[in-house]
Amino acid sequence: MDRNRTHRNRKRILAALHFTALFLTMAIICIPGLWIVLNSFRPTVEIMAKPPVWNPSFTLDHYRAMFGGAGEGGVPVFSYFRNSLIISVVSTAIAILIGMSGGYAFARYKFKGKSGYFVGLMLFRAVPGVALSLPLFIVFAKVGLIDTHLGLILVYVAMNVPFTIWLTDGFFRQIPKELHEAAEIDGCTRWQAFWKVEFPVAKSGVASAAIFAFLTSWNEFALASQLTRSVGSKTMPVGLLDFTAEFTINWGGMCALAVLMIIPALILTFLVQKHLIAGLTFGGVKG
Amino acid sequence: MTEVTLSNVVKKYGAHQAVHGIDLDIADGEFVVLVGPSGCGKSTTLRMIAGLEDITGGEVSIGGRVVNDLPPRERNISMVFQNYALYPHMTVRENLGFSLHIAKQEPAQIKTAVDQAAGILGLDELMDRKPAELSGGQRQRVAMGRAIVRSPDVFLFDEPLSNLDAKLRTQMRAEIKKLHQKIGNTIIYVTHDQVEAMTLADRIVLMRDGHIVQVGTPLELFNTPVDTFVATFIGSPPMNLVDGTVRGGNIQLTDGQSLPVPVGARGLVREGQDVQFGFRADNLMPLGHAVDEVGEIHQVDLTITLTEPLGTETILFTTFGGIEVQAKMFNPRPVRPGEQMTFRLVLDKCHVFDAASGTAIRS
Amino acid sequence: MPRRRLPEWFLLLLPAIIVIAAVVLIPLIFSLYSSFTPYKLTRPSTLWKWIGTYNYEKILTDAKFWAAFGRTVLFLTIALNVEMLLGLGIALLVNKVTWGQRTLRTVLMFPMMFSPILVGFQFKFIFNDNIGLVNNVLQSMGFNVALPWLVDGKLAMFSIAFAEIWMSTSVFAILILAGLFAMPRDPLEAAKVDGCTPWQSFRHISLPFLMPFIYIAMTIRSLDVARAYDIVQIMTGGGPARRTELLWTLMSRTGYVDARMGLANAMGYVSILLSIFFTVYFFRKLSAARAEIGMGG
Ligand SMILES: Nc1ncnc2c1ncn2[C@@H]1O[C@H](COP(=O)(O)OP(=O)(O)OP(=O)(O)O)[C@@H](O)[C@H]1O
Ligand SMILES: [Mg+2]
Repeated sequence: MDRNRTHRNRKRILAALHFTALFLTMAIICIPGLWIVLNSFRPTVEIMAKPPVWNPSFTLDHYRAMFGGAGEGGVPVFSYFRNSLIISVVSTAIAILIGMSGGYAFARYKFKGKSGYFVGLMLFRAVPGVALSLPLFIVFAKVGLIDTHLGLILVYVAMNVPFTIWLTDGFFRQIPKELHEAAEIDGCTRWQAFWKVEFPVAKSGVASAAIFAFLTSWNEFALASQLTRSVGSKTMPVGLLDFTAEFTINWGGMCALAVLMIIPALILTFLVQKHLIAGLTFGGVKG
Repeated sequence: MTEVTLSNVVKKYGAHQAVHGIDLDIADGEFVVLVGPSGCGKSTTLRMIAGLEDITGGEVSIGGRVVNDLPPRERNISMVFQNYALYPHMTVRENLGFSLHIAKQEPAQIKTAVDQAAGILGLDELMDRKPAELSGGQRQRVAMGRAIVRSPDVFLFDEPLSNLDAKLRTQMRAEIKKLHQKIGNTIIYVTHDQVEAMTLADRIVLMRDGHIVQVGTPLELFNTPVDTFVATFIGSPPMNLVDGTVRGGNIQLTDGQSLPVPVGARGLVREGQDVQFGFRADNLMPLGHAVDEVGEIHQVDLTITLTEPLGTETILFTTFGGIEVQAKMFNPRPVRPGEQMTFRLVLDKCHVFDAASGTAIRS
Repeated sequence: MPRRRLPEWFLLLLPAIIVIAAVVLIPLIFSLYSSFTPYKLTRPSTLWKWIGTYNYEKILTDAKFWAAFGRTVLFLTIALNVEMLLGLGIALLVNKVTWGQRTLRTVLMFPMMFSPILVGFQFKFIFNDNIGLVNNVLQSMGFNVALPWLVDGKLAMFSIAFAEIWMSTSVFAILILAGLFAMPRDPLEAAKVDGCTPWQSFRHISLPFLMPFIYIAMTIRSLDVARAYDIVQIMTGGGPARRTELLWTLMSRTGYVDARMGLANAMGYVSILLSIFFTVYFFRKLSAARAEIGMGG
């Protein structure tokens, strides 16, 4: 009896501890983001108030200012959003085509030095953006790619290809090779067999690789901050800096832009989260 | 006419040679089974015929046309894979019609062909399901249906039944045989299961280590194996092989017993030659248990060590010529280990193999 | 005789190789060259002057460089280990939950989609000594302090590490959680029956199985270690008085603010080698761990 009770009590205490730890963790994960969202709706006076105001009031001022155009020292958010969108979408599309072809090569063909090639490609992803930005800055200035969409697109394609290869390799490897053999016997060329059978089967995996690439481009700062300058090509992460002046920061406006940056990322990630995790683990585990 | 001919076909994977110059003629409408132990090159041979592996040397021709460098789609074959390789994103109907769709046939035509194949295989109820929603046996059937729909010159099967349980396997085996009788195409079928080979084949091709060991009808392989490998591979239980030496016109076994040389090998053995004496369990029977009493009989008393009752027959384990051998008893009665019984060995049906090379000694 | 052609796998890899060569390899070769010159952006002719290993000698004898280098290595080591341990802890916590697991997993992915620069701003805001959430909360709770989170060297380092860990722990948590889901139940149950304590079965059964997942996370993470640059650049810019200077901020300042590209490129190479070291190290660990639980091949 007694031992049963102590065990039961211990179980209860453990459950309480478990709940508390989980709650704290989730709070720490969520609060910073929520704080940003909350502050994007608070008037600047209230954000800056001392002592702090805990009863938030609600205003759309920051959003109004943000979408109100570039007049009077405002930040040209629309242009930044458009630049980000064009650059991310185009670079993702190209990176997926190139990366998928590479991933297919790794998944389906045997060749000498395969793992060497693989690690080699990954190492190019590991080159720090800042370190790469130095020579790119000079080279792009020489060939006139600085401050252009094309320049950043090229950079992001190169940046995303290795990881796309990693992910798509994992997805294609899950597909038994008999599938394309069956398709070839059924009358397909190798090319048809890929597009009619292997690609549709790996589609969700490829989609998650695409979203990963998109997010990388969407969020990149180190290279974009050096390779773009004008409203015509600056992306949103670089645009965030516009809210900082010499000594002050327009926190409310910044929070509003941050929300605008996060929303597409949020939606896309939730759409593919399951495949994304599967892709990450398969690519690596079944190496 | 769609005969398939392999002449001196070689396959090398780098330094490793998987197939060593195979010659094989398969007649139109013949059901040929490639059988052999794991890794002997059956699949490789089949895949070379299909065009899924490059041919390192030699020639493969289908219907009189050399196809060495043709891609699979131009060989007019179809293939059923071990894991079925159904297209997971397509319904059964789409799976069946895929090849015709690729060939750009009219939708109406496709529908007719698909429905016909579905009718043959009893798939009508399943047409709108995806492969993931089918049982193993149903998937197998769809895979066969997909092969039929193309009405190819040659069917290739690579261990199509090995993922099924024993009962379903027997059932599908019969269906494949019926299918062949119905459509009469040339079939090349790979398996490592000798029972499947025996029951299905018009002709069996038995392979080992990338070589063909023997080609023949199931009964030829069963009755006149060319060597000890064939003798032990074909038939269940495997043929008993007992070591012996030829002495004074008889074969002396290691336990001192002496047996007459069987008729077929008489005059072909040398005095002092080391041989293996082979006989099947069916030809070693307890006295009074249904043997057609023709020909020469050798009678011997043996002690039972183990029994395996199978219903209509019982396998008896005993020691003969110094090693454990299996005998068979029809009309079974309970037998206890340790019991002594008198056995009759039908000498006419026994085999003699050269001990050194393993080849059969037979006129 | 078939014509001799490039193998198919190579043709498929070719676009990737070309793009990477054009956009990464060639600039890197150029930067390698320029690291042997006194190249200054303001004086283009300096690009043609060969000064041998002068830049490298200079940075290798520079105390400021070594301080930044040491701080970077220390920062990465601490951050990666803490992220791994926290990730493991969180994964175990979530794995034990029986209800709403999927929601929790979704929440876990939250920080993954934040731009690093956004994370920097976010925590710059939260740790602001005047209007930041942390100080406001402390003050409202009655502590009459305004901790200089981003101004004091040690506190600033802590704040940066906190931001970095907040951002990257989820990669570990999610991959380890995927590992926990994929783990076969039988060995664990066998261990329970055999009388293993929970700790023993974790140590000898779960952990070896999870190792490859941990190393995948480490490898993915190490492909992008330098993104901490964004955070530091925003939160402190390497200050105060270089107390939070990392290799990357030092390099960026040398190159863009001081315009000494040659020297900055030399530092760049050191940082590249550092990244490559981390990546290769974890890749090898990954293959080893994979082989250990029979997932290789
Ligand atoms: N892609 C390959 N690369 C190298 N060697 C191979 C390859 N495919 C098969 N082999 C080798 O060729 C030999 C024959 O293989 P094959 O697949 O034809 O055997 P099998 O008779 O079909 O066996 P199983 O009954 O196990 O399917 C084996 O030794 C095998 O290891
Ligand atoms: Mg095989």
